[in-house]
Amino acid sequence: MQYALLAYSPPENTDRAARPIPGDLAGLLDRPEVTGWARLHADESATTLHNDEGRMLLTDGPFVDSKEYLAGLILIEADTLDGALALAREMLRETRPGTAIEVRPILDGRFRGA
Amino acid sequence: MALDAIFRDQWGRVLATLVGILGDLELAEDAAAEAFAIAAERWARDGEPANPTGWLITTARNRAIDHLRRRRVLADKTKLLARDLETGPQPPEALMDDAATIPDERLELIFACCHPALALEAQVALTLRTLGGLSTDEIALAFLVPFETMSKRLTRAKHKIRDAGIPFAVPPDHQLPDRLAAVLSVVYLIFNHGWGGGRVDLAAQAIHLGRALADLMPDEPEVFALLALMLLHDARKAARLRDGQVVPLDDQDRALWDSRQIDEGRELLQRALVRGRTGPYLVQAAIADLHLHKPRDWQQIAALYETLARQTGSSIVEMNRAIAVAEIDGPEAGLAILDRLDLGHYRYFHSTRAELLRRAGRDKEAHNAYRRALDLAQTEPEQRYLANRLAETADS
Repeated sequence: MQYALLAYSPPENTDRAARPIPGDLAGLLDRPEVTGWARLHADESATTLHNDEGRMLLTDGPFVDSKEYLAGLILIEADTLDGALALAREMLRETRPGTAIEVRPILDGRFRGA
Repeated sequence: MALDAIFRDQWGRVLATLVGILGDLELAEDAAAEAFAIAAERWARDGEPANPTGWLITTARNRAIDHLRRRRVLADKTKLLARDLETGPQPPEALMDDAATIPDERLELIFACCHPALALEAQVALTLRTLGGLSTDEIALAFLVPFETMSKRLTRAKHKIRDAGIPFAVPPDHQLPDRLAAVLSVVYLIFNHGWGGGRVDLAAQAIHLGRALADLMPDEPEVFALLALMLLHDARKAARLRDGQVVPLDDQDRALWDSRQIDEGRELLQRALVRGRTGPYLVQAAIADLHLHKPRDWQQIAALYETLARQTGSSIVEMNRAIAVAEIDGPEAGLAILDRLDLGHYRYFHSTRAELLRRAGRDKEAHNAYRRALDLAQTEPEQRYLANRLAETADS
């Protein structure tokens, strides 16, 4: 089986990019069972696209969940946010109305080959 | 030119170039602020250098290199050339002799500041700070929010641009119309905010931004049209208030209108018109121009409001069309249009309705509508005007 572990952080005042991953956690992330990880920028850097009955609406900020559930995780590469938003929009168009995709930049990460 | 005039003029230009070199808005802003502070001291003593822009950019760049040396970790995250870090600061005169050789990157900067991934209020604040050179204090004052709130808003927006990878670039052709519309709406929002109060002259700021855009995008008719629209409105500024009360256009003293600004606005409007495409700012500028003629051509004004209503789907435009229709077909015809609109929250809806009701001889209803408008009025000159109308309708 494969599992996704989703980490949630309390709000913080310090610059997230300037803080290293705690040493013991870094060790755990190096374990062979960990096939990949990504550390995300804080939610202030997020942009959210909503599929509103076929119209793709863009808002500044993270997805605010009400009754939707977290359904997937997609990792992409793009030169700028515009490229990331364009691809997210293309994908979102193929989803059910009410779906949203939050686009969040990755701060740091490591992925093992399949 | 006085130092503060040069500063206002150069801030956006210098900052944009620095962002191009450094790739980071926050770093560029800190460096630019330092360079301007050094200039204020040195120029007052030694006189203004031959090329102020080049001097400011080189000085700011040197300050930034200094900072980066102290924070080496950050250096590899910026676009700053490693060579610059090796060779170190250069004398301000060495880099550029001619302002024309410095690339003007203000467009790249304004498109980043007005990126749709930023909340509108952040776009407005950031545009005023970066291109307009307003301080955080001034922006907070203009929008009546605490300094802390505005400071956080700006910092957050700058961090988002950096962390999320919002590009410093003019959008490609297929995105340009939408993205330009967003930029123009930020500028017009700043202008309209400047109409009401006198705390910070936001109208002048917006015109300043409009001029910069017209310089930078000489092929976009909507850019000229917006500048024309703002100039034509702003030209009546001195006549809009008398004895602390707003004065309706027909009662304004035309000698107080700024004829130079009106001429410039009309010229820009012509330049936009010959390009043939009729965007919403062109239509609005044409309407603003028609309002300056005496007598006013209400048929044409009504027709243009109809075009604009179709383009924008805006109820406020419909409200303005109702005013023109009332001039042509009588107040009841205007009121019939107003009755279809859902604008109960909008203060000018009630003052407009009150005026038409008064003309239709429906004084009691007019009185109630003036009262509602007065409840919603936001500035003292508006309140005084409405209080007088309220008193007049009470007598009859």
